[in-house]
Amino acid sequence: MAILQGKKAIVIGDRDGIPGPAIELCIQSAGADIAFSATECFV
Amino acid sequence: MDLENQKRVKDIAEQFGPENVVVVLGAAEGEAAGLAAETVTAGDPTYAGPLAGVSLGLLVYHICEPEMKEEVDADIYDEQVSMMEMVLDVDEIISEMTAIREQYTKY
Amino acid sequence: MNNSVLKGAGYVLVHVPGMVTHHGTTQTTERIVNPDSDYLKQLPEHMRSYEDCVAYPPNQTYIGNLSIEDLGEVPEPWYDKKIEGADRFGPFGEIMPEDEFVLLMQICDAFDLVHLDKSFVQQVRPKLEAHPLITETMLSLIKEGHDEADILDQESHKAALPIYIDGRMVGYVKQAHDLDVNLSAHVIFENLASKASSVVTVLHLLNNSGIDPAAVEYVIDCSEEACGDMNQRGGGNFAKATAEIAGLSGATGSDTRGFCAAPAHAVVEASALVTSGAFKNVVVVGGGSTAKLGMNGKDHIKKGLPLLEDCLGCFAALISENDGASPEINLDILGRHTVGTGSSPQAVIESLVTRPLASAGLTITDVDKYSPEMQNPDITKPAGAGDVPEANYKMIAALGVKLGQIERSDLPQFVKDHGLKGFAPTQGHIPSGVPYLGFARESLMEGRTKNAMIIGKGSLFLGRMTNQFDGISFFLQANTKKDAADVAAAPAVIRDVPVIGVSVPDSELGEEAVRAAVEQANRSGYRATLIEGAHCLEQMDEWIQSGKIDAAVAAHYAFPIGVSTVGRIQTPALGKELFIATTTGTSATDRAEALVRNAIAGIVAAKSCGIENPSVGIANIEGGRQCERMLNALSENGYPIRFAGSARSDGGLLMRGNDLLQATADVMVMDSLTGNLMMKVLSAFTTGGGVETIGYGYGPGIGEGYSKKILIVSRASGTPVIANAIAYASQIVEGNLSGIARSEYEKAHKAGLSGLIEAARQKDRASDGERPAVAAPPKEVCTEEIHGVEVMDLEEAVEVLWAAGVYAESGMGCTGPVVMINEARSEQAHAVLREKGYIS
Repeated sequence: MAILQGKKAIVIGDRDGIPGPAIELCIQSAGADIAFSATECFV
Repeated sequence: MDLENQKRVKDIAEQFGPENVVVVLGAAEGEAAGLAAETVTAGDPTYAGPLAGVSLGLLVYHICEPEMKEEVDADIYDEQVSMMEMVLDVDEIISEMTAIREQYTKY
Repeated sequence: MNNSVLKGAGYVLVHVPGMVTHHGTTQTTERIVNPDSDYLKQLPEHMRSYEDCVAYPPNQTYIGNLSIEDLGEVPEPWYDKKIEGADRFGPFGEIMPEDEFVLLMQICDAFDLVHLDKSFVQQVRPKLEAHPLITETMLSLIKEGHDEADILDQESHKAALPIYIDGRMVGYVKQAHDLDVNLSAHVIFENLASKASSVVTVLHLLNNSGIDPAAVEYVIDCSEEACGDMNQRGGGNFAKATAEIAGLSGATGSDTRGFCAAPAHAVVEASALVTSGAFKNVVVVGGGSTAKLGMNGKDHIKKGLPLLEDCLGCFAALISENDGASPEINLDILGRHTVGTGSSPQAVIESLVTRPLASAGLTITDVDKYSPEMQNPDITKPAGAGDVPEANYKMIAALGVKLGQIERSDLPQFVKDHGLKGFAPTQGHIPSGVPYLGFARESLMEGRTKNAMIIGKGSLFLGRMTNQFDGISFFLQANTKKDAADVAAAPAVIRDVPVIGVSVPDSELGEEAVRAAVEQANRSGYRATLIEGAHCLEQMDEWIQSGKIDAAVAAHYAFPIGVSTVGRIQTPALGKELFIATTTGTSATDRAEALVRNAIAGIVAAKSCGIENPSVGIANIEGGRQCERMLNALSENGYPIRFAGSARSDGGLLMRGNDLLQATADVMVMDSLTGNLMMKVLSAFTTGGGVETIGYGYGPGIGEGYSKKILIVSRASGTPVIANAIAYASQIVEGNLSGIARSEYEKAHKAGLSGLIEAARQKDRASDGERPAVAAPPKEVCTEEIHGVEVMDLEEAVEVLWAAGVYAESGMGCTGPVVMINEARSEQAHAVLREKGYIS
């Protein structure tokens, strides 16, 4: 069963990993709806 | 996890129902991914933010996990993420994330 | 280009445990949210002594006492290791203790906002007097101080911010306004700390580079603070405030902001200011940030580490005119993250690393050392951010793998060979690229390395104005101006050769002929790259646009109306060089105007190939006389044209076939069909017509306001012609074709070109029987050719299509004149032209 299809997605990206906007593009393509997206920065 | 982000996670889980929500992380390494995953499932382990003592039990993945890769359009994944697969310790991330999901995810 | 140089660098740390406790945002936030927390209670016992901070290996590296390589030999983690005999001062700067720094903040305060305890001033003043770089003028700014009772009477200054040293309150910073939050004690404190740390760093920079302070002409501050009141929060100018105290009497300056990327932006700006000649010596400085002190303190204490973020970090660099010795900043290799780049890590690294390198024909292994974000992993690893520099090196290597520049198995070795250990404090902008400038300067001057790439990256989302990422990178190289003996001994430096893309997808001679031409050109010292695949023309256009290639050689290109092309050939038997000014497109719809435009383009091409004052002749063809009259008028009105005279006994400006063979003129002006015919005859006659083997091809598109450098060859152009076309392309880039074109058209217009053209058009219309002008519909991409329209009717056919709402252009196809349209309009266009009798 699809995990992302039709779900409300919360994206917590990382400036030194995968940033939020990049994850958004990915999971939108899998049918998820972005409810919130942020990028964290530890440095 | 940033306090403001914890607040948003809590609000969204309440608004849409925790069973309809999935959290996708992009953390740079396993431990940080595990901490963020723990925050949105068992509660904030640092007891600093709005999710301290709040066990949402949300479904949570790291974008580099195979379950995500399988569902994402292959071209987009290649463009946005694939290079980082060579950079991040994906195995460590998978093992941290799997452990948290098995223990705390309710959905 | 005369590159600017990195003339010196300065690095300072200020050990400020009191400010960690009372001014770092992690701690101040905790005090509001959770005043009784264990974290705040545990804080004092995790604070390092000044001596421990000085002996900490990465700190010794920051001020230049311990090389990056030697730091790498110290086993990680480093927080429990000490460097024996560690010194406060190093070749790049120093590690300043908190008490001296607080007095320095008072020196930097011009508004009587820093009030210090008298006894504290008495105690610390001698220390600053003994400091090797603090000037008499600065010492004269020290105030006597206030009585202890006044300092401790907090009722009288409730809105002030106390200053603690070793738990003792030694003074306070007052608010500068009672209501304006931008002038609150907190903001003033932060800003004065930034200013004071910048001042001491500039003093070290001046000392290290040996420059006269009065010779500094401009200062750019690139820290992360904002100064201004409620009406202009962030008004600035930290730079000038710093310059004043540091004694830079001849300097002005300004602030550059861009989060962590700001230092790299600032160095690029400084380099541009020097290269342009606007200023000779420009200082870039970034002061320390009190807000970030102890930012990851909770993680450090949880893991039983000392509080490692206990220092303000500062840097300064001096960018100057080329001195023939210091490393050069090569602005031709300039990475930039643009609005359109996107945020995926590979897009970011591509924009900052591989694309600028490719524009110089380099790959990732051509750069000796990269300096991306140089955070100390001792600090970031326990905080969950991993080893940041190492992650950056892996990203560069991983992209290299994707681009086929290295093998996947070479990834770890690449990181080892081209990477550096992180050693900078997590002060936001401070670790970003610039910590390596000091070491890079030494290494490049000693010849241990030949180049380095400095990469600044910034997270703009923190400002809540945009989700855009940001970054900029620049290239340092060993000085190229050293005298010949030095150059011979020094390692090779990058020669600045234009990159030429080659796209001839449908050569009649096969792919091999094209590939051989590219190889031949590269062997001759040019830099060409083959563009292949079904979408090679689109790719070529994109690369030209983005600057990845400087020019292209292509078999087809639909130039817009107004663009001429200038072929180049050697004459038979005599082998004299000849420019044939014609077009493969449409120079103008009026015949005489087209010839005049071709003539100007011919002059531009010849000049950009180094012929200072080319002679011009007009082929004896229809319209030639009118063109002659117009060129004469231009010449008389002040556009200098050197006219050739026919070699025939009767002389004159009109050239006969004999003149063509003798190259009587450097530039022969022709219409499009004649030009095409002549180029083909002159380049293919020795092969019996099958293959074009002589000359440089049909040449670059040149027109008013047209800047793309695309040179045309034909499908019958052989290997030597394509290789020559690459050389031609390289020459016009280096010969500044764009600049010459701008100046020639400007001169021609001053001499009345527009009026002459208008007159010619009116005459043409009159003789045509009043064909009314038709406006073109919105431009479309024209990829389909319609053949079979008579050449004399070509422009009429285009206008008939325009009148029918179909965008069309005229052009020169491989077999003759064509009308170009969008593919989707094919049916409609054919129907219109058939109906009007232009095609059958």
